[in-house]
Amino acid sequence: MNYTFQFGVALAQLPVLLSAALVTLELAFLAFWGGALIGVAGATAKTYGGPALRRLASAYVVFFTNTPALLQIYFIYYGLPEFGVLIPAFIAVVLGLMLNAGAYLTEIMRAGFISVRRQEVEAAETLGMSLFQMVRYVIVPHIAKTIYPSLANFFILLVLGSSMGAIFSVNELTGTAIDISTENYRWLEMFLLVGVIYIALTFIASVSLALIGRFAFRVKAKVF
Amino acid sequence: MHHLEIASLGCRYGKLEVLRNVSLTVAKGEVVSLIGPSGSGKSTLLRVLMGLTPPTRGEVKIDGETIDYGSSRCVRTVRERMAIVFQQYNLFQNMDVLRNVTIAPVKIKRRPRPEVEADAKRILAKVGLSDKHHAYPDELSGGQQQRVAIARALALKPEILLLDEVTSALDPELVNEVLDTIRGLAADGMTMLIVSHEMAFVREVASRVVMMDNGQVIEEGSPRQIFDAPTSERCREFVGKILRH
Repeated sequence: MNYTFQFGVALAQLPVLLSAALVTLELAFLAFWGGALIGVAGATAKTYGGPALRRLASAYVVFFTNTPALLQIYFIYYGLPEFGVLIPAFIAVVLGLMLNAGAYLTEIMRAGFISVRRQEVEAAETLGMSLFQMVRYVIVPHIAKTIYPSLANFFILLVLGSSMGAIFSVNELTGTAIDISTENYRWLEMFLLVGVIYIALTFIASVSLALIGRFAFRVKAKVF
Repeated sequence: MHHLEIASLGCRYGKLEVLRNVSLTVAKGEVVSLIGPSGSGKSTLLRVLMGLTPPTRGEVKIDGETIDYGSSRCVRTVRERMAIVFQQYNLFQNMDVLRNVTIAPVKIKRRPRPEVEADAKRILAKVGLSDKHHAYPDELSGGQQQRVAIARALALKPEILLLDEVTSALDPELVNEVLDTIRGLAADGMTMLIVSHEMAFVREVASRVVMMDNGQVIEEGSPRQIFDAPTSERCREFVGKILRH
């Protein structure tokens, strides 16, 4: 191998890359929480809705889980302007990831919904709880605990998936690395460094999610 | 006056008539035991009383007041006066023992937490679980979970306690710890309506035994009368089958 590594050049870009990493997290967060809201609505429709609502939610899930997220963002970024809707790249990527995440989260949440034990709900009822109290003290904690590991995994996937923003010139981690590499030509060093940052991000995310899960929901997940 | 009065109560699930015509009274401090084959309507009767299954006809009175099971406000007052313990314990899996017992008095009855917790600890001591305040249901044996469920019901200070086959899901060696708890309650004068298949226990603890079959009361009387000298053919047959073992 004739390549001479020059990490100094890449490391000099570390501050820029770290602020880009923040954009990556921002994308993942927005897409996750937006997707979670869609997921709750979708799961509610699929579990408790009438036939029409159920079919609508199913169609949404089938469409968005069976086409690439990249394609979905393409339609939003390049397709919607044809209908006079012009959206900045960042928003388009967030929207695309959000809609895609919403479809997967609908299924995750639905699994949580149907795991609620009828006996616990009946016990809550006979203790005199109102519907609101049952939801707050019994149903939501149960669902949260059940789906927490899947949610945590999905968040990690979103952190990595946000690299699609690079294609739409959003300055998240991957996109920024591509931009810098085209100037300094240190592609390998830059992407090795970016790889390490991604690992650090997901590691920190996994550990903190596992700890939150352990203390808030008694989810027995291994931290390491 | 009778504390609890059930008059020609009927209940159907679709076409299936689970309760046909049940009339029954329970006086204060009385321990009434419901026996009968599976599907005879014993559990449904308790569910109807708690407002979990709507009755299709008949009347329930507590202290002479008729309960309107169609009104959620009325059902709420019923649930303040009666508590039920289920066969499958039905504890809240996401809460520890102390919180399972205190959540209803604190959040629903709005009583101050310190007072409720002191109460709860006293009740837990009574059911023999003083060392388990912070254990979660999945860390307890079935017998322990069932005793927590009894404590949770008692924390609401019910006037009448309904027990629905509370030992049926337990391993044989755990049955006695739960029965002991119920014996203690009976000795304290708690009014109870007990559905049970533990005939020896029923004979010992019940002041009155009610035999049900096919959604109807077949015969009722003292334990001695029901077990030793049943008058109806169906009751004789059932008791004979059970006591032969």
